[in-house]
Amino acid sequence: MAELTLVAEPGRAIGSAPSRRLRATGRVPGVVYGHGADPVAVSVDGRDLRIALSGGTGVNQLLSLEVAGERHLALARVLQRDPVRNSVVHVDFQVVSRDEIVSAEVPIVVVGEAKAVEQERGVIEHVLSSLTVRARPGSIPDAVHVDVSGLVIGDTVRVGGLPLPPGVTTDVDPEEAVVVAAGSSATAELGGEAGMAPEAEVPAGDGTSAAEG
Amino acid sequence: MLMPRKVKHRKVQRGRLSGQAKGGTTVAFGDYGIQALEPGWVTARQIEAARIAMTRHVRRGGKVWIRVYPDKPVTQKPAETRMGSGKGNPEFWVAVVKPGRILFELGGVDEALGRSAMERAIQKLPIKARFVTRSVQEEVHV
Repeated sequence: MAELTLVAEPGRAIGSAPSRRLRATGRVPGVVYGHGADPVAVSVDGRDLRIALSGGTGVNQLLSLEVAGERHLALARVLQRDPVRNSVVHVDFQVVSRDEIVSAEVPIVVVGEAKAVEQERGVIEHVLSSLTVRARPGSIPDAVHVDVSGLVIGDTVRVGGLPLPPGVTTDVDPEEAVVVAAGSSATAELGGEAGMAPEAEVPAGDGTSAAEG
Repeated sequence: MLMPRKVKHRKVQRGRLSGQAKGGTTVAFGDYGIQALEPGWVTARQIEAARIAMTRHVRRGGKVWIRVYPDKPVTQKPAETRMGSGKGNPEFWVAVVKPGRILFELGGVDEALGRSAMERAIQKLPIKARFVTRSVQEEVHV
């Protein structure tokens, strides 16, 4: 994977108000760390950042980060976003080397049409949408593809059955489900009168739960 | 309708609705979501109405996730009652929603159907909200 060059200016002012002023000028505040070096507060051009991280590899794009004349091989690790506008408000760059193993979040893409499932009026449930992989920075895959065309109702594709490229491993439990071909139990039924919500799921531990005493 | 089985306090104060959502701002379970754009209280009845609107439009297939829970009791005094004599009776339950919060998610249907179902659900809500997709949320823009 070829790296893209991104220029980061060090010496930005720290704090919420200077950062807000920086964002108003089209720049994104960030930090560079890794390999035992002290973290450096930097800022990058917003447009350049968008172009660099919008390619096929997405946010796992290997970057050649230029900080005060020095070049570092880096990966964008954490993108903090505005919850409403979804714009990037801060970015973490981790300095990496070509032969070290790093972990990265890779999207899982479902390909093909599960005709047998559709004929039985079932649904393909995409349980796991991304996978944490361990690989060298240059060999992080763009995505992991799962072919669902051969699935029938009751089949499950698990992490252990995913086709990972050579040199790429994962620490995720191999028994964890990725795609499930479910029957019509999950279908949205008519007549869901007030009271019961059989087909809607309230994620456990999500958001606010009742304070029980 | 959604409501807690047991609570520590039957009546709570109203609180403030300042700021934006701290968590639950990304589509995490399905493919599409409804994102709140303004703060407000969403009642259990409104959550249920939105869910029914969505599931009836989708008809078959698809799975709905409700990402907010109405765990705040709201009290009301009976009509034509003189002021005083303590706080009113708990009447209904609300979820406190701040801008950015994902309220519902939907998966297992194509985008056009998902969008139209969720737009119907948005009509049932007391706040401004919008349809978002997982892929749009993952885009990098400044």
